[in-house]
Amino acid sequence: MEIVEKAPVPVAAPLDQSVMARIKRIPTAYLALWIIGAICVVALLSFMGCSLCQYSFDQTSSDFLAGPSTEHWMGTDELGRDLFSRIVYGARLSIAIGLTTAAVAFVIGTLYGALSGYLGGKVDTLMMRGVDIAYSLPDLLVMILIGVLLGRGTVGILIALGLVSWMGTARLVRAQFLQLKNEEFIEAARAQGQSGWNIVFKHLLPNALGPIIVALTFTVPSAILSESTLSFIGLGLSPPACSWGTLASDGWRSLRAHPHLIFFPSLFIFITVLSFNFLGDGLRDALDPRTRLGKKSH
Amino acid sequence: MLALIIKRILLAIPVLLVVASLTFVLVRIVPGGPFDADKNLPPEIIANLNAKYHLDKPVPEQYLLYLGRLAQGDLGVSYKYVNRTVNDILADAFPVSLQLGTISLTLAVLVGVPLGAIAAVCRGRKEDVIAMFLSTLGISVPGFVIGATLIFVFAIKLRVLPVGLWESPWHVVLPAVTLAFSPAAYLARLTRASVLEIVEKDWVRTARSKGLSQWNTVLKHILRNSLIPVVTVLGPLTAIVITGSFVVEYIYAIPGMGRFFITAVMNRDYDLILGTTLVFAVLLIIANTFVDLAYQFLDPRMRIED
Repeated sequence: MEIVEKAPVPVAAPLDQSVMARIKRIPTAYLALWIIGAICVVALLSFMGCSLCQYSFDQTSSDFLAGPSTEHWMGTDELGRDLFSRIVYGARLSIAIGLTTAAVAFVIGTLYGALSGYLGGKVDTLMMRGVDIAYSLPDLLVMILIGVLLGRGTVGILIALGLVSWMGTARLVRAQFLQLKNEEFIEAARAQGQSGWNIVFKHLLPNALGPIIVALTFTVPSAILSESTLSFIGLGLSPPACSWGTLASDGWRSLRAHPHLIFFPSLFIFITVLSFNFLGDGLRDALDPRTRLGKKSH
Repeated sequence: MLALIIKRILLAIPVLLVVASLTFVLVRIVPGGPFDADKNLPPEIIANLNAKYHLDKPVPEQYLLYLGRLAQGDLGVSYKYVNRTVNDILADAFPVSLQLGTISLTLAVLVGVPLGAIAAVCRGRKEDVIAMFLSTLGISVPGFVIGATLIFVFAIKLRVLPVGLWESPWHVVLPAVTLAFSPAAYLARLTRASVLEIVEKDWVRTARSKGLSQWNTVLKHILRNSLIPVVTVLGPLTAIVITGSFVVEYIYAIPGMGRFFITAVMNRDYDLILGTTLVFAVLLIIANTFVDLAYQFLDPRMRIED
């Protein structure tokens, strides 16, 4: 989200218990945190092979295209598979894709941005020029083109997502580093003769962590959205892979007669993405020292 | 200003060359050719087809041939839409996408900017909460969900609007609304942030302290200044609309660039993939150049650096 960069969180906003306390006071963010927690737990349990549902995700039955009932909460698809079980199963892929992308964005983006911001000068200009050009291209366009090369498997999608998602983080980390670099505590660390490595990882990075975490919170939902959109238009994952995107794509074909098949997967994508966005907004407010004082800065 | 435009055009040529080369490499190193899907073709015919389109030549030679044609403005031929050149297809598809994109962007500005301004002016109050809730909703709903919902309600249940294809003005309504959703939400959030920043400036306090009404302060002093960053996001907005057009044109079966791009990728229709990608790149370069010009026009402080 470019909006995050437009209004960067001022520096010196340590992550501590007060952040959690402040999140609790923002109802949307607090609720979002619980919803995300619940969805992640379900995805994790499903990943470890626990059967959370009455049916397995690929178990067919003679009950084709049934609407929601007490037996099948969300109905069944054209092969008689229970939609609720498929959504629970799809959660692990959708959530895993979102979290993995955020992790990749964190590692690559932080290293790239840290290097660029710490070194500064010509190296910085050169490194950032490349990012600027790539960043201005539409993510989905780049991902589709990369997808042509890597194929439409889970790994291909993950690489494509990773390749487009780190640039926002890199720009943010660089901006933070440029700002922090001239602070007195960095000067003090330098005067003590600390190594560059130490200064970057022990002094600069911890102080830039707040805004980075906010940005990553927005990376997860945009990755989930990108994956589901790609799968929906037929350029992402394809069956038998099962994510919320592929489920919605399946449901699209029977929108007229069986709208429940697209409704439920869409609802889960929407709630998850919405929760992450609310959490990101809440975290940003909670980390902003200007609101910490309870009033505007002057 | 003219110097800047010329500079930008000169800079655009190497960028487009890089985009063309990268895309070329990307689509050519993938296994599978455009005629693979036609399973019942005898190998001799496939060989003939490959020869006709120079696909039997080594890749570097194909690349030079492609650049040569590109320099003459020839984007090549489609392998799937028989006897149609890429220029021909794009000449039909581009106006459709341009119409859809322009209408959606206008709609997004008309909804998003006032929503964000209201939210900021009423910061912390009910209006702010509602406006921000709506805009967070807007960036959280995937385009295909909005599309499916609108089709279900207005075309299937109420039967008041047509769905699919691109014929009468009524056909424009649903796709344009679907496509406007995410840029409108984006603009609302941006406008809010921008207005909030301006509200704290000294000259706004001056305006208030000399007794200007709230309404006057907002319109004459705050909104006008906070529109600068809003105008300058035309670049990212164009990117959002291009991304959205892939989904919207797919859902509503609109014969625009986004739809041709997707089918071209599915069919490995090399020249059509390259052609559409290049047109998208040109669009983005134009949008970003316009942003630079707008910056200089709107904010005199930026002119000194030129």
